[in-house]
Amino acid sequence: MDVQLKRGLLDVCVLAAIKNGESYGYKIIKDMKPYLELSESTLYTILKRLEAAKMLTVRTAEHEGRLRKYYRITAAGVARINDFKEEWKEVIQIYRFVAREDQGGPV
Amino acid sequence: MNKREFLEELRKGLAGLPQDDVEERLTFYGEMIDDRIEEGLTEEEAVAQIGPIGDIVSQTFSDIPLLKLVKEKMPKRSLRAWEIILLVLGFPLWFALLVAAFAVVLALYIVIWALVIALWAVEVAFAVAAVACVPLAVFYAVKGNVPAAVAFVGAALLLAGLAIFLAFGCVAASKGAVKLARLIGRGVKRLFVRKENTK
Repeated sequence: MDVQLKRGLLDVCVLAAIKNGESYGYKIIKDMKPYLELSESTLYTILKRLEAAKMLTVRTAEHEGRLRKYYRITAAGVARINDFKEEWKEVIQIYRFVAREDQGGPV
Repeated sequence: MNKREFLEELRKGLAGLPQDDVEERLTFYGEMIDDRIEEGLTEEEAVAQIGPIGDIVSQTFSDIPLLKLVKEKMPKRSLRAWEIILLVLGFPLWFALLVAAFAVVLALYIVIWALVIALWAVEVAFAVAAVACVPLAVFYAVKGNVPAAVAFVGAALLLAGLAIFLAFGCVAASKGAVKLARLIGRGVKRLFVRKENTK
């Protein structure tokens, strides 16, 4: 897949993983697993990028006697997800058109 | 490998990155391992799931822009007197070397792209020549010079064939050039990182 496209998709996926409430690194990876495999180093880069873009906030809290980082989506993050959904309606339209050619169009 | 060994190895691999960046990454991976252990995995299994350290290190470096790596190389403290003297005295030497190194990398880039441009130029020349043969063929056909007309039709077909054939080569060469350029970029990046490691 095109690198730029994949990067954009992954960003939105991570935002989607925290849109229903705070989450932490390992949980994000687990929640995304049925849909796509994400390595730890990739997730780290994405989280940093989203934090810099103010699409999520980070807090450190104690958990079982150790520290864990929790990520919470911001209004900008929610807006990004909504933009994505709008954009992809169009992409799906285009996809339908492209895929239709596959099923016995003019040879 | 247990968690401590893993983090130790990773720290070595990430040497050359800013210190607080390294610490933050290590905390992140530590948390990932702890969360897996909490879920019932053994320490060894948890570490194994995180993946080979080599992969993590190479991905980390490819994610960081070169500019940031270079910036990190700048000393944070002010320079000592002897360092300034050395820098000034050594200027004719290190500046020349720096310019030369820069020129070499730039030359490599130019050579790569010049090759690609040359290939595409040949491709375009073939295509244009093929098209140009068509009116000539028509011209001779109208004048009644059949052999010349046939020759030009033949030439047009031959050139068009060559153009199509070469187009595949051009596309492959362009892709190769992009890959090579990226490889050089990564190589330059590595240079900065490795120097820091051997210090």
